[in-house]
Amino acid sequence: MTAITLILALGMSVASCKKVNDADVQKTAQEVLMADPALAGVVVTVQEQVATLTGIVEDEAAKAAAESAVAAVENVKSVVNHIEVVPPAPDYSELDAAINAALADAMKDHATVTAAVENGVITLTGEIRERDLPTLMQKLNALNPVQIVNNLTVK
Amino acid sequence: MALTEKYKELIDLARANNLLVNDAGKVLKIDGTVPSASIKDKMWDIYQRLDPQFRSNDVLLNVKAAVTEGGKVRVVTRESRLNIRKGPGTDQPIVGKAEKGEIITLISKSNDLWWLVRDVDGEEGYCYAQYLEPVQ
Repeated sequence: MTAITLILALGMSVASCKKVNDADVQKTAQEVLMADPALAGVVVTVQEQVATLTGIVEDEAAKAAAESAVAAVENVKSVVNHIEVVPPAPDYSELDAAINAALADAMKDHATVTAAVENGVITLTGEIRERDLPTLMQKLNALNPVQIVNNLTVK
Repeated sequence: MALTEKYKELIDLARANNLLVNDAGKVLKIDGTVPSASIKDKMWDIYQRLDPQFRSNDVLLNVKAAVTEGGKVRVVTRESRLNIRKGPGTDQPIVGKAEKGEIITLISKSNDLWWLVRDVDGEEGYCYAQYLEPVQ
């Protein structure tokens, strides 16, 4: 009698397991990921209630967030995290524009110096009197560049 | 030599003044506000001594001396008089001049690079902030 109950119980639990549709779980998990813009590059596939994550995110935090978000989805037993972390290439266009806008004022008293701006780096060419160099450097350092490359001839 | 080693003296002074020191990457960044112009000058003197003629391209020193609006600032041009302009920019008309060493009043520093000042004649306008230093 006990054995039969056990078999019945097992049979029912197997039956209830089979009711879990991987495709439904996958759909839910993918929706959870899509809700977060930082995780939009992640793809989830679910097989036997095991979720596998692939795709690209910008940082480790997003990779971990994707894993915990999917782990919390109902009927996900475990998560295999194959997400790749690829930091975005920095965009310096705004910084370059800001530096260029302020550069004319900074360079006004230094007519013999040419300054070029690229990727946040100010490159100086031309010549300058030694005593004027600290003044120029202080002005340029105040513009918040990424780096200042001094190729000046100091007289 | 590591940047932190090379510029230890500069970093120590920066830390003593609670400045932000970031030595990540190939450029050492020091940012913040120090209590006086003399500390700022001292930092630049140290920087220049450790890296003569600023040739190594491995430091960004963006240090401002604390100054309050309504306070006094000194004109620190090298020899010439300082232009006071109608607006913040060298393209703006000159409305007055301040002598080297003259002490004038800071009205507003809402523009980081161009401060609004009032000179001894009561003339108001904008001066390039790098040529002004707070008077203690």
